[in-house]
Amino acid sequence: MKLRLSPQTLQVLDAFLQAPKDWIYGYDISRNTGLKSGTLYPILMRLAERKLLETSWETAEVGRPPRHMYRLTPEGMRFAKEHHLQPATRRPARVAFGGVNS
Amino acid sequence: MTAIRRLASRLLGAAVRHSSSDSQEWVRAMLSELDYIENDWAALFWALGSARAIFKYSIPRQLHVWLGTRSNEEEGPMLKHMRRTAAGALAGIGIAVGVLVAAFGLVRLLLVIFPASTLKGVESVQMLAVIVVPETIFVVAAVALWRKRRPMAVGLVLSAVTLVAHVVVHLTTH
Repeated sequence: MKLRLSPQTLQVLDAFLQAPKDWIYGYDISRNTGLKSGTLYPILMRLAERKLLETSWETAEVGRPPRHMYRLTPEGMRFAKEHHLQPATRRPARVAFGGVNS
Repeated sequence: MTAIRRLASRLLGAAVRHSSSDSQEWVRAMLSELDYIENDWAALFWALGSARAIFKYSIPRQLHVWLGTRSNEEEGPMLKHMRRTAAGALAGIGIAVGVLVAAFGLVRLLLVIFPASTLKGVESVQMLAVIVVPETIFVVAAVALWRKRRPMAVGLVLSAVTLVAHVVVHLTTH
């Protein structure tokens, strides 16, 4: 499957490159990139389908549901570095949905 | 739990129930994130966006299941080629039918504007407009498209042959 490299996809890849070895939550990516869930998740799904992204479920805290976490695979890392956003074109991070802090 | 958050939660709950089985993991992922969003309105917008993403992902897959077809990625190259050829040929036939209908409509319109009694050689005009001109268009278009869009050209040639056969049958029986 061909991956469409939209500016939003590049933003997501760039967000993963900020902490390449860490697992990241979907909502955190959304806040860091400013992408809404309707844009972010299709990108994550495509990346996972192409084996560029690995997913895992976090062990649940008591009374809270487990969270889905994402991390680039080694192949994803190579791909992200190849298509890394230039600093001039990088979008400044903003808080999603009108200022929510977790 | 506020009413807004309840609405967000119900919306994603409904999305979970109606999503395809292969997207269930993703739907649960979006639903679980909802509990970690502190602002209620943000949670609602998160749910709305997630529902959009789920349906965008699920609907094409459900359609493929209902229609008994597979996605392009799963298709063999042979099947893909056959489908493309058939689509091209059908497009050629469609264009030919369109040209014939337009020509026929034009002739009918001319006969309404200029009644047959005032026209000399109506039959030859009809023959020219409905058969000769479209046949010429089909042949010229087929030759032009033969290298780049061969299936479409084949569709046009088939239409041209069918039209000629129709005329021959018509002339022999009348």
